[in-house]
Amino acid sequence: MPASFREVIETAQKEGAKRLAISFPGKKDIEILAEAAGAGLVIPCLVGDGNPIESMVSETSLKSLKHEIVEEKNQQKALGQAIRFVRDGRADMLMQGADTHQALMDAILDTKNGLRKGKLVSYISVFELPKQGKLFLVADTFINNSPTLAEKQMILDHAIRLAGILGIAAPKVAALAAIEQINLNIPSTLDAAILSKMSERKQFGSAVVEGPIDIDCALSEAPALRKGLRSAVTGKVDIYLVPEVDTGHLLAEALVFFGAMQAAGAVMGTTKPVILNIPFVSEANRMVEIAMAALMCKRGETNA
Amino acid sequence: MIRSLADFSRIAGEKGPKKLAVLAPEDEDFMTAVKTSWQMGHIEPVLIGNTEKMERVAENVGFDIRGFEKIVGDDRQAIADLGIHMLFSGKLAIASKGQIPTSYIYRSIIREEGRAGSGMTVSVVTFWEIPGLDYLVVITDTGVSIKPDLKAKTEILKNALFVYRLLGCPRPRIAVLSGQREVGGTLASYRDFEQLRKAALEGEFGNCEIVNATSFTEIFLGERTRPVAYGGINMERLPHILLVPCLDTGNILCKLDFFLDVTRSSLVATSRGPVCIPSRADSSDNIVQQLAMCVVIAERMREGGT
Repeated sequence: MPASFREVIETAQKEGAKRLAISFPGKKDIEILAEAAGAGLVIPCLVGDGNPIESMVSETSLKSLKHEIVEEKNQQKALGQAIRFVRDGRADMLMQGADTHQALMDAILDTKNGLRKGKLVSYISVFELPKQGKLFLVADTFINNSPTLAEKQMILDHAIRLAGILGIAAPKVAALAAIEQINLNIPSTLDAAILSKMSERKQFGSAVVEGPIDIDCALSEAPALRKGLRSAVTGKVDIYLVPEVDTGHLLAEALVFFGAMQAAGAVMGTTKPVILNIPFVSEANRMVEIAMAALMCKRGETNA
Repeated sequence: MIRSLADFSRIAGEKGPKKLAVLAPEDEDFMTAVKTSWQMGHIEPVLIGNTEKMERVAENVGFDIRGFEKIVGDDRQAIADLGIHMLFSGKLAIASKGQIPTSYIYRSIIREEGRAGSGMTVSVVTFWEIPGLDYLVVITDTGVSIKPDLKAKTEILKNALFVYRLLGCPRPRIAVLSGQREVGGTLASYRDFEQLRKAALEGEFGNCEIVNATSFTEIFLGERTRPVAYGGINMERLPHILLVPCLDTGNILCKLDFFLDVTRSSLVATSRGPVCIPSRADSSDNIVQQLAMCVVIAERMREGGT
C-alpha cells in the first residue's frame, strides 16, 4: 500500500507506460510530461498546433523519448480529438492542457462524445500525511456544488474506489458536518447519519463510515472521547466526505496553504482517467496524478 | 493593537479580575480552567448550577469554591437564561458555558438581545493565531447560522468587525470566502461576496476593505488558476477576517487546529459583553485562553468600544 506520493509513482512505474492524450499542451505541461515519460509512466500524444508543440518538446527531454504529435490547429477540435483518442482506446488517459475547466468538463460530460461513465463525475483530493506514513482523501473538492444524499453516496463510492486503487482496502470514512449530533435543521448531519447507517448495513462494502462527525473528533481520538464519541474512525480517517463544495474546496486549500500538505487528486466517474489542472495541486504533484491515473488503468475500468 | 493570544493573557492579568457567570461547571476540565483563570487573576466566578455536582467536581480538581457566590439551578435552559440575563443586566462582565448545550446559550442570548432591542445577530468569532503572522485572524460565523443569507452575513460581518476593532485595528481587511471555481456556475457564496464587497465600497461597514479574493488560492497567489508552489506562500496576504459561507465550512475550518500549527480561541460577542462558549472537546488550557480573551473584550467594551 503506497504510504507516500513517491510510492504511488513507484507503484505506477511497475505497470508500464500508458498512452496519455492532451490537447493544446503548454510549456509546463510538456515539462511535466517529459518527466512522466522519462519515469516510464506515459507515452504522450500531443494534439494541437504542431510547430509550437514541436518547439516546446525540443526544449525538453521528451524530444528523445517516445511521443506523438497530432496536428489540429483549432483548440476546440483538438480537445474533441484528444477525447476521441481516449474513447477509441488509442490513448489510456486524458490530461487537461490549455482548455478551461468548464470547456473540458463540458466535453467530458457530453453524453454522446464525452467520457462520463455513470450519473456523476467527482474530484477526489489525495493528501500525503508523512507523520503517520499514510495518504488520506477528501471528497469532493472541485466538481459537485451541493450534492444531494444520492450524489453523496456516489461520491463516497468514488472515494472508496480510489482508496482501493491506492491500496486502502477497508477505508475509515468521516462524513463531516458542523456537529457530531443529528440536528434536523442541519442537512449535512442527516445525510451523514444516513450514510453511516448504510455503512452499518454494508452498503459501502468493507468501508466504515462514521457520521455525522465534526472535524475535531475525526482528526483526533481525544476530543472524540471527551464528547463521548467512541468509534473506529476517530483519529484514523482515510476519507473525509464533505457536505458541499464550499467546504471541500476551502478545506483542501487550507490544508495546502496553512498546513503545507502535499496534494494531488483524481477525477472519478469517467470511463478513462482524466487529469485536471487544479490550482491547489502543485506542478510537481501532477506527476502523482498521472501515476494515480496509470494505476486506475490497471484496473481495466476506471472509477464509476 | 492586540496581535497574539499571549497579548490577551497579559492584558487580562492587568485588567482582571472580571466577574464571570459560570454556567453549570460540572466537568473537571472546565472547572480546572475556571480555577486556573481565577488563580491568574483574570476572573471572579459566580457559579450557577447543581451545587452537589459543582462541589464534587471542584473537590476533584482541588479548587476551594466555598468563598464564591453560588446560585443553585438544575434546569439547563434556566441556568443559561439566568447567566445571560445577569450579563445583560450589567451584574457581571462575562458569561461562560459549562455543561450546557450551546444552543441553549444562543437561545438565551437571542432573547436578551431582543429585549434590549440591540438588533445584534448572534454569531461566533473564532481567532486563529498562526505562527509567523503578527496579527490574529478571525473566522466567522463558526457556530450559529447554519446557512446565512446575505442579510445574516452582513450582520455576522458587522459583529466580527466590532470585535476586531476592539483589538485596536482601524482598518480590518476581510475575505468573504467561497468555493467558487472555474466550473459549476456561480455559487450563492460568491454572489454574497459580490454584494458584500459592493456594500463595503459604499461604506456600509465603515473603515475596512473586502479583498477581491474568495479562495485561499486567490488570497495567497493572486489568481484562481495559478498552481500552488510550496515554500513561497506569503502568510501576510491573509486578511484579518475570514467570513465563511456556512456553518459546516466555518466549523470545519476553524477546528483545523487539531491538524495544523495554529491555535484557536472563540467567543460570542453580544451587545452587553462576551460569552465564552468552549467546545466539549477543548482542553482546560484552551478554555483558560478563551476566558482571557473574553476578559479583554469585556474591558475594551467597558472602555467605550460599544
